[in-house]
Order: sequence, then structure tokens, then C-alpha cells
Amino acid sequence: MDSASRILIIDDEEVVIDSCTQILRGSGYQLATATDGTSGLKLVQEFNPDLVFVDLKMPGLSGFEVLEKIHEMDATIVTIVITGFATVGSAVDAMKKGAYDFLPKPFTPDEFRMITRRGFERRKLVLETIALRREKELLREQFASIVSHELKAPLGAVQQNLFALEFELSPALNEEQKGKLERIKVRIDELLKLINSWLRVISVDINKLKEGFKQIPITAPLSSALESMAPYAARKNIEIVTTISDGLRPVTGDSLSLAEVFVNILSNAIKYSPDNTKVFVKTEEKGNYLLVTIQDSGVGISKEDLPHIFEGFYRGKSGQAMSGHGIGLAVTRQIVEAHNGSIAVESELGKGTTFAVSLPV
Amino acid sequence: MTKRLLMIDDDPDFVAGIKSILDAAGFEVEVTYNPKDGLNALQTKQYDLLLLDIMMGRGAEGIMIARKLRKDAKLREMPVLILTGMREQIAFLFPGEPVHPRFVDVDELVEKPVEPKLLLEKVNALIQAAEARKAGKK
Repeated sequence: MDSASRILIIDDEEVVIDSCTQILRGSGYQLATATDGTSGLKLVQEFNPDLVFVDLKMPGLSGFEVLEKIHEMDATIVTIVITGFATVGSAVDAMKKGAYDFLPKPFTPDEFRMITRRGFERRKLVLETIALRREKELLREQFASIVSHELKAPLGAVQQNLFALEFELSPALNEEQKGKLERIKVRIDELLKLINSWLRVISVDINKLKEGFKQIPITAPLSSALESMAPYAARKNIEIVTTISDGLRPVTGDSLSLAEVFVNILSNAIKYSPDNTKVFVKTEEKGNYLLVTIQDSGVGISKEDLPHIFEGFYRGKSGQAMSGHGIGLAVTRQIVEAHNGSIAVESELGKGTTFAVSLPV
Repeated sequence: MTKRLLMIDDDPDFVAGIKSILDAAGFEVEVTYNPKDGLNALQTKQYDLLLLDIMMGRGAEGIMIARKLRKDAKLREMPVLILTGMREQIAFLFPGEPVHPRFVDVDELVEKPVEPKLLLEKVNALIQAAEARKAGKK
């Protein structure tokens, strides 16, 4: 066992503390003990345990309060409750308050050792998960940087020079030559779009997003999106009809990223709608959720493409599977889910598409 | 009168592509490849428009220039065309600010690579708007 593995036992009965100390002798664990909740909590801070055994029935600060306080201090510490009256009720209550396991008194040395071992396994997994998440985040940042610098920038420079060349040479080129240039431009453009869609999917730092959440009226991001999309809709003479209810409760989230979500969906709706049609934007409260629906009468999405449109790199054959402006449907979904919401789509080829974003209030 | 443009961008190949379009359209284009040289040029010479790359060096060093412009009474009025690799990068680099953060009061944003027609359209529009403002102030 790792010699740095630390166990803290908080129990007002000396008998329990003595027998636990005896059982763990020679095991290589570092042990600290306390006979009441208050000194136990102090030890949590000083001793930094991996595992804490908490007696539920103690005078003074109750076992339940100690449990809560420990989880407030460090949610990664594995807590195990020692139940005097081995009723399932109090053990279940304790687990609801975050305890990982329970040890009913009286217990045999083997039972104690086994629960301890399982507690440490759990602790190891928790710490590994945290380390892996951190690593994933670092990798994501590195990958984003590489894709940007090593792939996108050079290709962008190639395309830019192609644009410049065509601009200069156009009068001197024959149709066939112009055609060749056009082919090159189109293929490079597709590559750039592909790289952009990778970048979009990996660029969103969902954790940082959640840190900035606050209470916002849904009208804030929605109006911002409608405003950005207005000129685009006007160009195609598409009317955006909005039905926004009064007195909607606020959502908890980030206005900027929600605005990007609505921009993405609206731009898809406008892009794939024929000129002179309408796009309907509606908000309503449904129970504990706020629903925003955006409906168009555009080309629609085929049955085969529909299940895939939120995937990062999916390129559909039919009209609406490719993203319009902005962040792409994969990132749109990530953002909505980061807000504890969900996004759904209904569509029929030739009839139109409706996106529904649902956010908790 | 020939309009003078300054471009600050650290990718010489990309710069060449943009410069040739602007040269052909009759602009006089000066180029610097890093923020420091760019700032020097801005302080010592007169330009009708700045083309500014955001992502330079380690990160968004172009932002530093934009901020300095905003603070400088002389340079605040100069129109800026911001060139960005990806519009959304700005959204995620500056959470809480609108996607086009209006680094200076008179800027516009285009994504690289830029089609010649769009480039010239934006450059001309920005210069004209700046001149209209100047005339209005007299």
C-alpha cells in the first residue's frame, strides 16, 4: 500500500478508536484519530486524509454535520460512516449526504480492513479521474494550437495567394485555366472548412464556461442573435417572426455562448430557407424548462442525416447537415448541455426544420 | 491622393497575398511583421487605415496594439480592419464581450483568407467612413 495513504477516524468511543488502531497496526497506513466532530474537522485540514471514518452518533457536532463539512472542504475525500444502530435508514441518509460506504458496529477486523481497502480503491479512482481530466484539457489546448498554427494558418496563406493570383491573372486566363484555379480554390476551401469544424469542436472550454454562469433573461442572448442575423435574413427577404412570452423566468448561464447557439441555429434556418419565406422563433415556459423553438420552411434534413447532425465532423449529403455561420451544431449542443439543457430537432426533406432548445429555469 | 495602408501580420506569405491585391488596386502598402515594429510605424508615420492580425506570436498580441490605439487620442480615429483566423476564437478568447469586441470605435472584422472583392470593399468603406467623420467634425 502507498505509505502516504492517510486515514482519519472520528469516533467518541475510545474502544472503537483503539481497536481500529490495533487492526491497522503494521499495515503501512498513516492514522489520525479524534473523539469529537470539531477536532476531527480540524484534523481534516491539517492531516489531509484520503479516508475519513465518521461515527454517526456523537455528542456535539453530529456525524451528519461532520460529513457535510468534510465534503464542503474537499469533495474528493472518501468518507465512511460508522453506524452504531445498523439500520439501513441512517446509512442510506449518510450516503445521500456523500458518504461512500458504511461500517456497522460491531465489526470484525476483516470487515474493517476490507472496507478500508475499498475506500482507498475509490480514492485512487477519484484522484486518477481528476488527473486525467487535467491531462485531457492540456491535450485539447495543445491540439487546438497545433491545428491552428500548423494546419490552418499555412493553408490560409496558400488560399490567400491563390486569391491574389487569380485577381491579377484573370484577364489573361482562358476559361479552362480559370476553371482549374476555381477547382483548386474550392478544394482548399473545403479543407479550411473541415479544419474550422475541428477547431470549433475542440475550442470550447466547457469548464471555464460554467465558471462564468449567472442569472440571465433568455431575451438577452436571443435578441443579440436576432440582431446579428437580421441583415443576413434581410438579404434573402426572410421574415423572422418572434413570439416571446412575457414574464419568462431567467436561466442560469452564459449570455455570449447562448447567443452563439442561437446565431448558429438561426443562420442555418436562414441559409437553407428559400427567399421570401418566414422563420418562426418562439419562447415558452414548460414546467421547469424554458423552450426556444426556431422553425423554418427550408430544404429540411433527410432521415439518414438527422441522427448525425450534432456530430463533430459529420458531412451530410442533404441540405441542412452542414453548419452555417458561427460555431457549428456540435459545439451548439455542447454549450446547451453545459447549461444542463437539451437540444432536439425535427425535420422533413422539402418541408422544413424545427430546432428546440430546452433550458432549466 | 494615394491612400496609405499599414499591415501588421506575422505571416509573410499571407501578407504577400493581401499586399498584392491592395497594390493592384492602387494603395500604398507598408508592412510590419511584429507588434513592436507596427507600433513604431504607427507613432512615426501617417496612415489612412490599419490592417491588423490578432493572433501573432504566442497568442493574441494584436490585441495589445488595438488597446494602445484606443488609448491614443491621435490614433483612435484611424480605421482598423481586423484580420482573424477564426471569428469564434475571439468569442472564446474574450468571454463576456460581444464577438466583435470593437477594440477601437472604428473597426471591422474579416476572416482569413479574404476574397479580393470583399477586402477592397471593406478597406474602401472604412476609409470613406473615416473621411466622412473628419469632414463632419470640421
